[in-house]
Amino acid sequence: MRRVLRDIFSFGDRPFFERIVLLVFVVVVLIFPWFVESAYARAVMIKFLLFALFALGWNLIGGYGGQVDLGQAKNVGFGAYATALMMLHWRTPFWLTVPVGMFFATAESFAVAYPMFRLRGHYFAIATLCVALAWKELFVFWDWTGGARGVEIPIRPTPNFTYMQFGEVGYHYFIFGLFMAQFLFMNWFRKAKLGYELQAVRDNEDAAASLGINVTGTKVKAYCITAALGAIGGSFMTVYYLYIDPEMVMPLDLSILIAMTVMVGGAGSIWGPMIGAAALIPLDMYLGAWLAGGGYYGIDFIIYGFIIMIIAAYEPKGVWGIIERIIKGR
Amino acid sequence: MELATQIITYGVLMGFVFAFIALGLSLIFGVMNIVNFAHGEFLMVGMYVALLTSTYLPLDPLVSLPIAAAIGFVLGVFSYRFLITHILRGPMVAQLFGTFGLMLFLRYLVMFIFGPDVRTLSHGVLVGKNISLGWISLDASKVMAAGLCLLLFAFVYWMIYRTKLGRALRATSLDAEAARYMGIDTERMNGFAWGIGGATVGIAGGLLAHFYYITPTIGMLFVLIAFATVALGGFGSISGAFLAGIIVGLIQGVGGHYLSELKFTFIYIAYFLTVVFRPRGLFGW
Repeated sequence: MRRVLRDIFSFGDRPFFERIVLLVFVVVVLIFPWFVESAYARAVMIKFLLFALFALGWNLIGGYGGQVDLGQAKNVGFGAYATALMMLHWRTPFWLTVPVGMFFATAESFAVAYPMFRLRGHYFAIATLCVALAWKELFVFWDWTGGARGVEIPIRPTPNFTYMQFGEVGYHYFIFGLFMAQFLFMNWFRKAKLGYELQAVRDNEDAAASLGINVTGTKVKAYCITAALGAIGGSFMTVYYLYIDPEMVMPLDLSILIAMTVMVGGAGSIWGPMIGAAALIPLDMYLGAWLAGGGYYGIDFIIYGFIIMIIAAYEPKGVWGIIERIIKGR
Repeated sequence: MELATQIITYGVLMGFVFAFIALGLSLIFGVMNIVNFAHGEFLMVGMYVALLTSTYLPLDPLVSLPIAAAIGFVLGVFSYRFLITHILRGPMVAQLFGTFGLMLFLRYLVMFIFGPDVRTLSHGVLVGKNISLGWISLDASKVMAAGLCLLLFAFVYWMIYRTKLGRALRATSLDAEAARYMGIDTERMNGFAWGIGGATVGIAGGLLAHFYYITPTIGMLFVLIAFATVALGGFGSISGAFLAGIIVGLIQGVGGHYLSELKFTFIYIAYFLTVVFRPRGLFGW
């Protein structure tokens, strides 16, 4: 138990430096709503935390596991739809719907994981993509889930903790709480047994297998945990936006954006997802919105595409790779 | 009975087109083990070439096919030269995301220049014409597209298996290092594979533009179909891609007739089932 507690709050080579950075980050986010009045800036902050949350979850399979999963949006969709449908049809309290969403995402991932992990590399990436798209089209087609029209959550007149409906500031602290919980979980996970096994499998599958690690089993476990983590963010999306449809919570673009956030920030590091989200989300929300307002559609994605190409060609470890090199003075 | 014949005929015709689209993807994968996510974007560029030449120049979209092929070839070679050579050195994740970045870049560049509107080809010799073959009546542009795709597929097949250039290409795909020792310029072969990939899919785009709606985001749909086709046939196998293309065309045609909202879902499910039962594809080794 003490071991677990120590792992949660301890960092890598530069424990002091990284704790300070974390502390500064926490304080800045905590006091953010007191200093920033603009509703748009607050929305940007919430979206940043949401994508940092998604990226943290994806980093487990994509960063520590080295498996390019391009279907994380289906798990977000499972979480979002579990919350939305249970609230709409049975008036279930929010906190009961979250485990259900996580359960469905995990169960589905477990069901498809074994055949998918017979594949490696590119084949695996395309398989995840196909499965996620098949689910999305099914949700578009299915009447009970609202089809393409989506699901609207009835709005409560007063702030309500059972259904998690309150003002913007409330959501800010809510998503920050979820984010911090997941951040600390990931910080523990990367030093837990499964985390080390996963990184060994990523670095060299044959060597890992020869040391007695069950390669497929490790990957499947990681894939299922990632699915559960993705579903949490999906549940949050439902109560925050109060409306979901398949185009919003399950599109391919979301899967890609999540994976891209991790890639840009630095896959396989604890800070990468945060850095990536901090780089991409404001770019999208300010530059993209500003250019689209001027009638220039898609410039933000041109820039995204360009950044990814550059990073893939010259710095596969992302921004964190650059920072690490500077710190080490090389 | 008539309906069944019509559905199956259309399925097979579309199958030839899908096979031709998958050809370039399969070739590139066979030669350098890289999956090109931007393949569908090359197709979209081919569609826009057909659209623009027929709108702004007094050219029939059929005449502009060589232009589409040339632009596709240049696009392919450029992508190889300026992006793929760099990402080939990196880890697999970087390779995947590199072509992904290229895909986003091309797609939104076209959207930026020509706008996000959905367009269709309005004039051309074959647009909207029907030909009747005794008991069934078929869309002339689809017959034309399928026929040309079949012909060009045979041509590329011939080139790969019967010419010296093709032999060098196959040698590179079997063992690049050994091929280099034998004096084959493998860098050039890689670039050539990308050029062929771009040219074939550019032509396919020009043909598809005759009867399919044109929008900057269309590429994703076709690249997924191409992935499914290539995986079904076995990555790197050219004859496999041909048969798989026909299978995918039939799945899409028959499934689309009964449940048109789910016609692409059937393709994804077929891909997934192939992966479950035969990870190497139907004709992979």
